Amino acid sequence: MLARARWPENGDGPPAPVPGFVHSGFAPLVVAVADRCLRRRYGDGPLPAGNRTAVLLVSASGDRASATHVRATVAAGGRVGPLFFFQSVPNSVAGHVAARWGLDGPVVCLSPTGDGWNEGAAEADLLLYDGDAAQVLLVLIEQAPDGTPGEATAVLLGEGTRQ
Amino acid sequence: MAEREQLRITGVHALSALGRGADALLAGVLAGTPAFTPVRRFDTTGRRVTVAATLPDVGTLADELTDAVDHACRAAGLDRAHRAGAALFLATHGGPASLPAPDRPGGDTGPEVPALAGHLARRCGLGGPTRVYTTACVSASTAVADAATLIGRGDLDRVVVAAGYLVEPDQYALFDAGRALAADGAVRPFSAGRQGLLLGDGVVAVVLEAARAAAARGAPTLATVTGWGRAGDAYHPCQPDPRGLGLARAVAAALRRAGLPPEAVGYLNANATGTAYSDAAEAAALGRVFGAAAGRLPVSSTKAVHGHALEASGLLELVVTVLALGHGKLPVNAGWLGPDENCPLDVVTDAPRSTSTRHALTLNAAFGGANTALLVSTP
Repeated sequence: MLARARWPENGDGPPAPVPGFVHSGFAPLVVAVADRCLRRRYGDGPLPAGNRTAVLLVSASGDRASATHVRATVAAGGRVGPLFFFQSVPNSVAGHVAARWGLDGPVVCLSPTGDGWNEGAAEADLLLYDGDAAQVLLVLIEQAPDGTPGEATAVLLGEGTRQ
Repeated sequence: MAEREQLRITGVHALSALGRGADALLAGVLAGTPAFTPVRRFDTTGRRVTVAATLPDVGTLADELTDAVDHACRAAGLDRAHRAGAALFLATHGGPASLPAPDRPGGDTGPEVPALAGHLARRCGLGGPTRVYTTACVSASTAVADAATLIGRGDLDRVVVAAGYLVEPDQYALFDAGRALAADGAVRPFSAGRQGLLLGDGVVAVVLEAARAAAARGAPTLATVTGWGRAGDAYHPCQPDPRGLGLARAVAAALRRAGLPPEAVGYLNANATGTAYSDAAEAAALGRVFGAAAGRLPVSSTKAVHGHALEASGLLELVVTVLALGHGKLPVNAGWLGPDENCPLDVVTDAPRSTSTRHALTLNAAFGGANTALLVSTP
């Protein structure tokens, strides 16, 4: 493990908003914990091209607050705002982190059927073994049933491939 | 690269607006008639666009996925004992289901992700590990790549990859709000005048097996998965890198794993959605990998016929590619109005093209700058 971070850590309030993402605490929490983890390893970044660092986002619930809002709006016959289209899949915030830090490895999102850490670690191991990734930024996040952000953990795994 | 177990595709099944089953899919993409019709499954009042490629009389996603997995397992000749050891990798959208419950007593839409995977595995008798991919439009292709890695490493002998998207009101509203849907009601990949994508049903299952496991039970082999690659753009949350760097690296990785030069590939099923900037980015990626030969590689995007099946698109298009290779006919890129100078490719228009090629690529790309390439070969 090359770096590790959690949100919240001591004294943290709500994570800062992320431009382009609205309504939900999901994306701000992912960005906050990912930035903290990567800063501990790389300062302000970005990483040089060709780093093959994967972004692996593991969340059973996904962005439940946004999905629930869209569901209710559509069911009521309303129109959803265009920004909800751009944040309709977890890839979007993963891509935001990748673009901010220059992480050019695979982008993978999983909804764990068992223990999120174990499934995330197994997927990271697979990507490293296969060689498409030289490092993996693994982010685990869950929202509470009411859609409010809970906790998130990010770890940077690697480095180098095993083949 | 370590010596690895060869990977075979031994059974497939697909549902799309073109019909149920592999034969209907192949016939539909070779006929090249777009399947887009006015949406009747839910109310589209107030939307900019009101068409999609939907199959009438579909069941719930859980029921259709169960049917697809069962049919694919039967096609592969898997008995109960073989199913019991098989893993299930599921590619689908997370979040609350938005299709209405079936009109029958006690009917519901089935469990949400991730519980849907266990539900599906139990109903189909698959007793191995389960995984759920929610990686947007590369969910299914990433699942196939991961299955290939795990089988190649010797971790698993048999993986059923299942993927499902049935056109429903929430994603439809989101794509409409994002102005991603083609206002002229047609998908025109790589073509001049293209206006966007249209959504389509796709519920698909594919049985992947280690070659020795398939051979041990005398299984049929439709194709082999010889290469795969995954890479990111590191460019933007939603838009592809116009230089095509990530997609080019995914294709290069697939070729490297297959041990094939670019010129060995005789067909490419493109990701192209009919969206102006993303089709041009894909063409740029192909130029990087194939150089001047990119203009001589037969290419088509069958999304022009069956629509964009989102999380299931990678598996639907993998099956199209496998069937096209086996049949020796390359499907049509419908909706063609004329060439676009930003997409200098040999696009298959007008009619299916005969081929004797042994190797084909199928590409997918998604929000987040996620890219995949799968390379399949005739047995």
